Amino acid sequence: MTDTAAPPAPITEEHVAEVAGAVWDSFLGLPLQRAATPEPPRGGMSGIVTIGGAWRGAVVLQCSAEHAVEAAEAMFAAEPGSLSAAEVADALGELTNMVGGNLKNLLPEPSSLSIPSVSAGGDAQVFVPAARPVLEVPLQSGASVVRVTLWQS
Amino acid sequence: MRILIVDDSKAMRMIVIRTLRQAGFADHDFAEAVDGVTALAAIAAEQPDLVLCDWNMPEMNGIELLRTLRAGGNAVRFGFVTSESTPAMRHTAEENGALFLIAKPFTAETFKTALGGVLV
Repeated sequence: MTDTAAPPAPITEEHVAEVAGAVWDSFLGLPLQRAATPEPPRGGMSGIVTIGGAWRGAVVLQCSAEHAVEAAEAMFAAEPGSLSAAEVADALGELTNMVGGNLKNLLPEPSSLSIPSVSAGGDAQVFVPAARPVLEVPLQSGASVVRVTLWQS
Repeated sequence: MRILIVDDSKAMRMIVIRTLRQAGFADHDFAEAVDGVTALAAIAAEQPDLVLCDWNMPEMNGIELLRTLRAGGNAVRFGFVTSESTPAMRHTAEENGALFLIAKPFTAETFKTALGGVLV
């Protein structure tokens, strides 16, 4: 007998836009709204947190390397060009953690959130094994695209 | 007063300290720890007056740290600053002796409200 599939995530595009927009506004002082044209970010970085328990899946946040640096400099209140790659990854990981944690609040309990991981380089394509993307929300901060994808196992 | 900020993200530790200053708590001394294990040692050595702690961390997470402190008889004032804030987590935090749970993202006003009665 196979595992019973988790129920559909009670999360909408509006939830994702609201949660991510609040994080960008509060901690980066940057706007983040629904993207008019869903162009995927190129040459980017990805942050991922997985969720286990009553609902199983992952939240993936993707943006360009330039936007990841801009976001990290805002979080650290750092001079342009002064941050290390590790500090940029730390910032993107924390942004992913906040978006994922707030979305997890909307999902069935009990569940747990993983520590975030971050990848950079190449096309930054992310695949979550044994899961499928159930919600993809393109967002825009200035000229930069930020894409949040919800994967469900 | 000495305040220990515990979070595995360096960026978040900086934001917490910056927000504390914006909220009017700039006169306090701040120290940092990167996880529960490091925090446990820092609390024993430095005896802070307040611990502001993330929930989800490697090595020892926030609730494990709080339970370890209370099991060892340490009653240091303790609050969570975390991206997860379900009613069950708030209940668990309170049940184990946390004074408050601040949800990320937060503002200086959030800190004023949560810490106003604690940092006196």
